[in-house]
Amino acid sequence: MEFLQSLVNSLPGVLGQGLIWGLMAMGVYITYRVLDIADLTVDGTLGFGGAVCVLLTVNGVNVWLATLIAMLAGMLAGLVTGLFHTKCGIPAILAGILTQLALYSVNLRVMGWGTSAGTQATLAVSVDKYDLILSSRYVRDWSENLINNPIVVMIPVTAVVVAILWWYFKTESGSALRATGANRQMARAQGINTSTATVIGLMISNGLVGLAGGLLAQYQGSSSVDMGRGAIVIGLAAVIIGEVLLRGHGKVLVGLLGCTLGSIVYYFVIQIVLRLGLGTNDLKLFTALIVALFLAVPYWKGKAATARKRSVNSKEEKNNARA
Amino acid sequence: MMKMKKLLCIALAAIMVLALAACGSTTQPSENGDPSSAPASDPAASAEPSENAEVEAQYVVGICQQMTHDALDQATQGFKDALNEILGEGVVKFEEGNAGGEQNNCTTIIDGFVSEGVDLILANATWPLQAAASATADIPILGTSVTDYATALNIDNWTGTVGGNISGTSDLAPLDQQAAMIQELFPDATNVGLLYCSGEPNSVYQIETITGYLEEMGYTCTPYAFTDVNDLSSVTQMACDNSDVIYIPTDNTAAGNTETIANIVLAAGVPVVAGESGICSGCGVATLSISYYDIGYTTGEMAAQILQGEADISTMPIQSAPNVTKMYNATNCETLGITIPEGYEAIA
Repeated sequence: MEFLQSLVNSLPGVLGQGLIWGLMAMGVYITYRVLDIADLTVDGTLGFGGAVCVLLTVNGVNVWLATLIAMLAGMLAGLVTGLFHTKCGIPAILAGILTQLALYSVNLRVMGWGTSAGTQATLAVSVDKYDLILSSRYVRDWSENLINNPIVVMIPVTAVVVAILWWYFKTESGSALRATGANRQMARAQGINTSTATVIGLMISNGLVGLAGGLLAQYQGSSSVDMGRGAIVIGLAAVIIGEVLLRGHGKVLVGLLGCTLGSIVYYFVIQIVLRLGLGTNDLKLFTALIVALFLAVPYWKGKAATARKRSVNSKEEKNNARA
Repeated sequence: MMKMKKLLCIALAAIMVLALAACGSTTQPSENGDPSSAPASDPAASAEPSENAEVEAQYVVGICQQMTHDALDQATQGFKDALNEILGEGVVKFEEGNAGGEQNNCTTIIDGFVSEGVDLILANATWPLQAAASATADIPILGTSVTDYATALNIDNWTGTVGGNISGTSDLAPLDQQAAMIQELFPDATNVGLLYCSGEPNSVYQIETITGYLEEMGYTCTPYAFTDVNDLSSVTQMACDNSDVIYIPTDNTAAGNTETIANIVLAAGVPVVAGESGICSGCGVATLSISYYDIGYTTGEMAAQILQGEADISTMPIQSAPNVTKMYNATNCETLGITIPEGYEAIA
């Protein structure tokens, strides 16, 4: 009972982290599901967004503007990966890894801006000194600072992002992007410039990740160069968990909402694991197993469905033969 | 068809719960008496809590450790030993979380402590400290194994006291004494190479500070920064080619790869002075050493004062290690033909 009680108490924190990572997962969803390429830039982009946002904030820039610029910074990273891929002919997965690698040095430089060493691995931003959009400080505050509560802030932010993306995917450019992911040859035959569509997709995706990075840095009170390590796994896990739970394969709106749901569920599971006192040395193994399980279930489901169809078909054939 | 999917969902959920339950039952016993994670403790201390389970816990202390690492483990152990000795066994209940080297996990663990309303948080290393500082302004936070609080918390005009709900201990061996040691051992050297990982804020801080002391003494200092373990050997080689002595701060990346460094510096015949004994025993000749168990213990003493209401955390200055020891690596000194003066202890 005590365990359940403490689990319920930790729900606000789970929601706060989950909603922020939901935006990141939407970025992963756009490349992995819609565009059908695995983009590993995001591990670097998350830290890039965080670094840019915190640097600007501590230098007196309005925090909303700083967060917006973090998103633009993410889009820039996506553009670089896109150009590596389409203009230099580098395979998408490698192009993403290259940008991610480069961003490590860039992030050190960004955070070290104005310091004598010129590089810095972590940059703190205190909610006491700056008027941050959200902070883990207020995640349990339901009265005085309601407007600062991360959950209250993140729900409309998520809604706006989902609405814009939903609208976008219905426009001509958005449809072209989806067609490119569905069938590249066919899309090209229809006169779609698939290279442009790929670059745009990567930019939107990384823009979202940059935005999530900026928000996450404010939430945890610092950005660090290792912030994005393993982010792709969390993002993928959220996408897959969301898909399994909502069964919305192929529908963009359901997919996007699934990202948020999936990342909340992911953090809930992590919270349980940590609560149970599981050695954190095994945490990564456990994460990998959860993701593998969620990835495998749809496949097994598919297999079971085909097997059943086959047995039904063969019965019908027998019946037909008899007739 | 829909039924099938629902069944699968339920089955999946059941598997997850079972998996979790299995994890819980296997790990809990080992938590009570696992001596492998507590190298510096006497076995009796770690075995006792299970026997004294009837003592009513008066305080709950949350411990968030950045990763599993010998030094951090020792600091945690020192902290627990101090509290158990001062307040008595079983009076303090310890909630422990290890972030496994991921910043996100620090936020999750700290959030768990805040939701439970623990009486005090021990933030073992920089990320837990940052996460805790962000998460609460009310629960007292003590840091340990943090080198420089001003950098970690972005404080201008550093006075030695953080204020608010934060205090703690620093793992830094006094850098002026380290510079003096380089002068004592290598008075004739001119070029000092400073080897460190640019991804570690603590290292950058130490390099900047010791450069000031060394240049005052007339040495020429050149920083050699590597970004991660992959370019470590080429940067080390470059440092060897251009330096008479190399200094390495308390750098985690260097500490994890001392063999790589040793193979290069010993072959080049360049002595290394290190910021802590782990690096020194791997690739160095001499070091000024602090004990992480000691700083953990000091932090535990501070915690006892705060919990009993004897001290106000907002006025407690950051403390450093109570003792420093001059140490040397006998094997490497012999290889390089360096004679160590009196007053140094050999690293076992």
